[in-house]
Amino acid sequence: MSTIKVSVIDYGMGNVCSVISAIEYLGAKVELISDPEEIVKSNILIIPGVGSYNKGMRALKDRGIDEAIVDSVINKGNKILGICLGMQLMGSHGTENGDMKGLNFISNKVTNFSTEELDGKKIPHVGFNTVSFNEGTDFFEGLPQESDFYFTHSHRMLLDDLNSTHAICKYGVDFLAAFQVGNIFGTQFHPEKSQTNGLVLLKNFLKSE
Amino acid sequence: MLKKRVIFVLLYDNGIFSYSRNFCLQKVGDLNWLKQNYNFSHISFFIDELIILDVSRGERDSDKFNDHIGALTEECFIPIAAGGGIETASQARDLFKHGADKIVINSLASASTEVINEISMEFGRQSVVISVDAKLEEGKFNSWINSGSTRHTPLLEWLTDISKLPIGELYLNSIDNDGVGNGYHLDLLDSLPESFPVPIILAGGAGKYEHFADALQDDRVNAVATANLFNFIGNGLEKSRNKLLSNGFNLAHWDSYIALKMKNILI
Repeated sequence: MSTIKVSVIDYGMGNVCSVISAIEYLGAKVELISDPEEIVKSNILIIPGVGSYNKGMRALKDRGIDEAIVDSVINKGNKILGICLGMQLMGSHGTENGDMKGLNFISNKVTNFSTEELDGKKIPHVGFNTVSFNEGTDFFEGLPQESDFYFTHSHRMLLDDLNSTHAICKYGVDFLAAFQVGNIFGTQFHPEKSQTNGLVLLKNFLKSE
Repeated sequence: MLKKRVIFVLLYDNGIFSYSRNFCLQKVGDLNWLKQNYNFSHISFFIDELIILDVSRGERDSDKFNDHIGALTEECFIPIAAGGGIETASQARDLFKHGADKIVINSLASASTEVINEISMEFGRQSVVISVDAKLEEGKFNSWINSGSTRHTPLLEWLTDISKLPIGELYLNSIDNDGVGNGYHLDLLDSLPESFPVPIILAGGAGKYEHFADALQDDRVNAVATANLFNFIGNGLEKSRNKLLSNGFNLAHWDSYIALKMKNILI
């Protein structure tokens, strides 16, 4: 088997070290890229990121990365994994610090956990929480149907009418923890900080056809 | 269900990892010592998070500290928080760049909240951990700053102020119990204002499994931390975690032994 090469998109939002070291641990090669032309040519993309939706989306736009990602994923069919903010940016829009349109790979929007649904629970939602997968698919292969993953976020996507492979986590409300629509993958949790559960999931993404 | 956490804390003193007792530091060993005595890439699969604090007294060599963070975080797939003496947003940016997911702020919070606001705007409030050191004096808890050398305010007052900041977690440490190994100072939790908004990491005093268990039973505690380099040496953390799990404590599950099989699995 030839070496798998992964491009991690660097758009200045948070720590990319742990994503890189998790991928290297699995035996794949990683490059950190921010050039739109390279993004269009990459077969496997990862958008990591923590921070505010508004700032994240603007960072993609300022670098001309947003259009390159859409071209790469939609027109060229390259596969992509969005992690945490990276997954949120794949939605239709976010409401953190003002409305902002997303990459719109899925129609779900990103809003904050409401006071009613939290019912006294603390924000941010931080720590390992149980994730339930909807069915046995390649993305979740090798993991128990309920597995623990590390989250740290204050905004979430609801499942809405997303009709695809997905996983749910409960924190006051059931929210979207992960999904796969064809070549587009997203996780609200951090697989790179979720011990062996995360390594298994990253391996599944990298090996998926 | 959201899990509670067991956190290992490394106190870094100018290139040497140290043991602290009532905030007096004793040098223990360098990175090689740590790797030999803790089999670090193994033990990291038995903790939920790692906190690395630069507690060097006097001038800090931040480049050297950053290099140590880089070395420790290789093959360590958990969240890393780092801090110690942070005064500017650019110092925080440097730590994020070298592998920290969160930064820990202590004395700065008493001097200026501007930098905290700036970091929180840029990296999100979940990435800011506020550390508070407390000491019991004449029956009342006071907060102390500057590595426990300066009395600040009554603890309740300080925690009330802190609860209004854009932060993600509180690291609450007992100076009296620090490094003593006789258990956590659970009374500290009585100084929390009602419905404190962010998760609480309790630190200072863990010496054995039972101390973790006592603190984790308390609803107000979201995570327990230990910086005791002696009491959990070897596989002490692994044993404690396994015992907590088998006694039904609400900790995350993963199969630690898959890790070896995952290494280079794609080659």
